[in-house]
Amino acid sequence: MDVIRTNSLTKTYDGKGGISDISLSIGEGTIYGFLGPNGSGKSTFVRTLLGLLKPTSGEGFILGEPIGSIKSREQAGYLPELFRYPDWLTGKQLLERHAELCKIPVRQRKTRIEEVVELVGMSSREKGKIGGFSKGMAQRIGLACAILNDPKVIFLDEPTSALDPIGRKDVRDLMVYLRDQGKTVFLNSHLLHEVESVCDNVSIIHEGDMIAQGPWRELMQIEAQIEIITDHPEDIQWPSFVSHSRKLGQQGTRTTWNIQFGDELDIPRMIHYLSERRISVYEVRQITPHLEDVFLHWVNRKKENSYVGNH
Amino acid sequence: MWAITKITIHEVISKRIFLFTVIMTFVFLSLYGTAIYFAGRETSNMGPEVMEGPEAVLMQQFVASQMLGAGLYFSSFIASLLAIMSSVSAISGEVASHQIDTWLMRPISRAQFVLGKFVGLTVLMMAYVIALFFSVIAIHQGIGVDWLALDLQPMQMVKAAGVFAIQPFVLIAFGILLSTRMTTLNAGIISIVLYGAAFIGGFIEQFGAVLEKTALVNVGIIMSLVYPVDSIYRKMTTLLFVTTDSPLAFAQGGLFTSISSPSNLLIGYAVFYGIIVLALAVYSFKNRDV
Repeated sequence: MDVIRTNSLTKTYDGKGGISDISLSIGEGTIYGFLGPNGSGKSTFVRTLLGLLKPTSGEGFILGEPIGSIKSREQAGYLPELFRYPDWLTGKQLLERHAELCKIPVRQRKTRIEEVVELVGMSSREKGKIGGFSKGMAQRIGLACAILNDPKVIFLDEPTSALDPIGRKDVRDLMVYLRDQGKTVFLNSHLLHEVESVCDNVSIIHEGDMIAQGPWRELMQIEAQIEIITDHPEDIQWPSFVSHSRKLGQQGTRTTWNIQFGDELDIPRMIHYLSERRISVYEVRQITPHLEDVFLHWVNRKKENSYVGNH
Repeated sequence: MWAITKITIHEVISKRIFLFTVIMTFVFLSLYGTAIYFAGRETSNMGPEVMEGPEAVLMQQFVASQMLGAGLYFSSFIASLLAIMSSVSAISGEVASHQIDTWLMRPISRAQFVLGKFVGLTVLMMAYVIALFFSVIAIHQGIGVDWLALDLQPMQMVKAAGVFAIQPFVLIAFGILLSTRMTTLNAGIISIVLYGAAFIGGFIEQFGAVLEKTALVNVGIIMSLVYPVDSIYRKMTTLLFVTTDSPLAFAQGGLFTSISSPSNLLIGYAVFYGIIVLALAVYSFKNRDV
């Protein structure tokens, strides 16, 4: 069963902004990245799934239950982007209140609270007032809240925004730990490296539209790119499957080129092409595209498609 | 729902405003006690021409009713402002700060959230109003025992306190309704203006009854229907003070009591009004984004 499924889920504000026509399905035991720049609609999507916003159209399900229903939230946890917790409560009191709302049996509450506090690295600090917490501590206690009820699906909206590098690593480790426990983690982030480091599958969202989705490795293969060193100092007549070539430098008779293809399979074809023409190759190195390039590639592709579609 | 009620009560008690309220209430009661003490002493020191005969009885009733009426009126004013201020931010404040997000994503309904808030605030405010009511009565009867004390029966006081406690019920329900759709500031302004209008309507109605001007009485009745707060207060005073439809009764009780007793139907209407407004608040909050 899909843990999260949406069909053309749309949420707009007076016909503007928000998210449009988002369809996706996410299975169990995965970390799913929802990637997009600030203001692209990531938080709107999560807030709609959790019933905080009413969808304009479309439908969505969490663990088979329609979004907005009480049942759909029984097995969910959530760390909002704008995490604000009552400053008059202590961290422990906050967790106790949430435990009560989640209907965690009274006898299990103390143990569970101790567990989650330790998991987020807040042991011995949970008795302080939230008003006296740093942003990082508040985010950690928010994380503890999100996993308190041992949910099957956890929505984390920019979960490392207030954390230092050690804290960010702790959160990444926590996400992996949760996935290994069979949980589904839905990670909202505008940080490409954060998504890359932990996510199995990814959706890219831009201006409320989903512009790409799939396994992260596949989305990364936007183009094949190599750096190649040949003994041919002059311009080479490149084959038609080369989409772009650039001379990077020359040392003696050896020339370094940057070559781009539409497909990874073009790389061996390229080697074959050069050897047929008796051009010596000293080095071939595949270049991984910059993450920003990947994102911009999909954004631009979407724009081009809509431009074509509009004419 | 009870979890939200507990959170609400905990929130109110934890905030500094609660401490200030308690302190300022003691300040008010102390001032009131001082006033009663001096009023009792000064009036009892008046000469025998004032202190004896039927005029003395009238004078005693007049001063005692005025003093107790003023104390209760100011108590009603403080309690009403507190009820308004605590309720108009109940939802909007949490929405604005986004604190509501993590509460509402839990397996609770919007109705449970609104009702939990309402019950928490109402329980606290009712307890406050009843405590204030009996404190004022105790100070008045205790300190003014020689001369100012009125003949109040226990059941009379219990009934009056019960009616008085309906006031925060209505005010909080209305405040929460506004809070589901408006900012705290806007909801506060509307509530306070309506509260003021209701009391002015009440005074106008009292004058209308004395002067036998139907139009003035109708203004008061309309305000009582729009925002039935004044009628609750007036009903409470009629349960404590002697009321007759005469200018004498008005002169005796002054502006802080009632010349005639509002009907029980109006009290029933106030309770019904509160319930309907609360139902509207639930409906309104159910259908909004947060």
